[in-house]
Amino acid sequence: MTDRTVTLRYGDREHTVSISGDGRVRVDDWERSVAAIGAGEFRIEGAPATLVWAVATGSTRWVFLDGRSYEFEVPRERAGRSRSRSHQGSLTAPMPATVRSVNVSAGARVERGDTLIILEAMKMELPVKSGSAGTVRAVHCREGDLVQPGAELIEIDETADAENQ
Amino acid sequence: MTLRRVLIANRGEIAVRLIRACREAGIESVAVYSDADCAALHVRSADRAVRIGPASPAESYLSIPALIAAAQDTRADAVHPGYGFLSERAEFARACDAAGIVFIGPPADVIERMGSKIASRELMQAANVPVVPGRTPADQSDEGVAGAARAIGYPVLVKASAGGGGKGMRLVRRDAGAHSAIQAARREAAAAFGDGTLYVERLIERPRHVEIQVLADSHGHVVHLFERECSLQRRHQKVIEESPSPKLTASLRARMGEAAVAATRAARYRGAGTIEFLVEGEGDAAGFYFLEMNTRLQVEHPVTEAVAGIDLVRAQFAVAAGARLPWQQADLHQRGHAIECRIYAEDPVNEFLPQAGRLLLYREPSGPGLRVDSGFVEGDSIVVHYDPLIAKLIAYGETREAAIDRAATALRRFPILGVRTNIAFLLNLLGDRVFRAGRAHTAYIDEHIGQLTPEAALPIEAVAAAAMAHTSRATGAVHGESAARPLDPWSTLTGWGR
Repeated sequence: MTDRTVTLRYGDREHTVSISGDGRVRVDDWERSVAAIGAGEFRIEGAPATLVWAVATGSTRWVFLDGRSYEFEVPRERAGRSRSRSHQGSLTAPMPATVRSVNVSAGARVERGDTLIILEAMKMELPVKSGSAGTVRAVHCREGDLVQPGAELIEIDETADAENQ
Repeated sequence: MTLRRVLIANRGEIAVRLIRACREAGIESVAVYSDADCAALHVRSADRAVRIGPASPAESYLSIPALIAAAQDTRADAVHPGYGFLSERAEFARACDAAGIVFIGPPADVIERMGSKIASRELMQAANVPVVPGRTPADQSDEGVAGAARAIGYPVLVKASAGGGGKGMRLVRRDAGAHSAIQAARREAAAAFGDGTLYVERLIERPRHVEIQVLADSHGHVVHLFERECSLQRRHQKVIEESPSPKLTASLRARMGEAAVAATRAARYRGAGTIEFLVEGEGDAAGFYFLEMNTRLQVEHPVTEAVAGIDLVRAQFAVAAGARLPWQQADLHQRGHAIECRIYAEDPVNEFLPQAGRLLLYREPSGPGLRVDSGFVEGDSIVVHYDPLIAKLIAYGETREAAIDRAATALRRFPILGVRTNIAFLLNLLGDRVFRAGRAHTAYIDEHIGQLTPEAALPIEAVAAAAMAHTSRATGAVHGESAARPLDPWSTLTGWGR
């Protein structure tokens, strides 16, 4: 059966996972059968077997294992994917928040790391920064808006050379 | 009288717990909610629900006029304030009285008196309940203040009599250097408050926080339901509570219980309350000092319910209805051991910053000796406006060891995804040697925060599961990779039977 490959980032490291059609999962030289036994619940074969919970939202994968939770990021995909998806990680609201300020408008040129929007949640400011250089295609929020997690705040058209990060 | 309909002036887990108690007692429950909570679990659980205002607490759960209007509109006989919000506001109890609604708690003047540091201390001294030794010496000369320090016993804090906030406060451990510390404290006090008068107080070093649960009816009968040890605190916020305390001897427990009953009588208290003490030293000779009285139900009340076998909310309802408490002190016993872990939406590796977000996955553990009090179900959101407490896990066992092991086992199988939580931190605490030995004091967490903070090791099984989450998404309801909003959190939840 054809293997499917998934790349996941945890902290600074990337991990490549191969999944075969018959439920075998391989990470480097580690290989096990993993069965989905319920919504978001998996059982990893072994002695003893391991129960683990996992769910996906935005570009984030959340995992709960033995009292610890882990957050992975799926690195944005290479050229050919839709623009709005490629920035889902940095340009969506990470939590319910109020839009405190919008620093750019459609058509503006931005550099990687520019603060585009400032959110406020739990009395803290959360800057939303551009993941790459490009042009603002559309802004989907206004100052004072209450935004929900995952809500798209802004779309960026990347400049071509930002693709190889 | 009988209570027929009770308005629950609170939200989250405590509102859900109170509504459950209403149902068990055959009382109709009325929930209240702000705009942020219109679909919250407490609203869904209650017999009726009334909107009281916008998300901001000041305009909703703290709005006395909105709550009184809701109680009147629904013709509720009584209001239960829960904890936090308006539970210790005399003004609210008074407004209920004026509207002819029973306030489930002590009389307004008792809330007021016990809420005042000075008035409650004086009241306790008059009732022979020990307070932290201290006084304002009549002779304010250097030697006069030093003499007072010697009489009280070192170490002492010398501080401004006129104010708090640590201004003009000096720690003095011995006679040597006392005079210069006193002079410095006087100068700072004079500069900060325009009054150099000094107060001398015994310093209780690394105390334990032990509180006694009390119950009083409106006929003057008072009993206590033993202690809760709440020494595990992070910046004065309790994290883990248990009963019995691992370090109280039978004789100290009896003396503290008697002192708590005396304090409750002196306060002319009614209902469920808690007398907090600082405990210094160990064994029968340990000292204990009145800290304050909490004139409400506590967050950690379930540990007392577990070991005493008494439903405190039900007792509150009975007292509010004018009934007599059915127990004499000799009827009450502690059996086994209970421990509560507070599960917060916060990030332990990032300064414990409160977190908000949707509970994408939330599965409570269950089994013998386990209780989970929560205000949320899977799919609900933790919002920015309120306390980040998600749930309380209470484990009961025959012994302390068994209760702790049961709590740890349950936390390892309490998956919460979508917001960061303190579960890994709680597990580190439960496994900590000093805690296991029962030797933690109130500063223990803050002094050892480094070793208690979860480490970043990544098990390979987590990586595999993360990849599978991705796979099940791609093969799920959303077809293909180019769907318009393929990663919307709502789509993750569809098909899960909510």
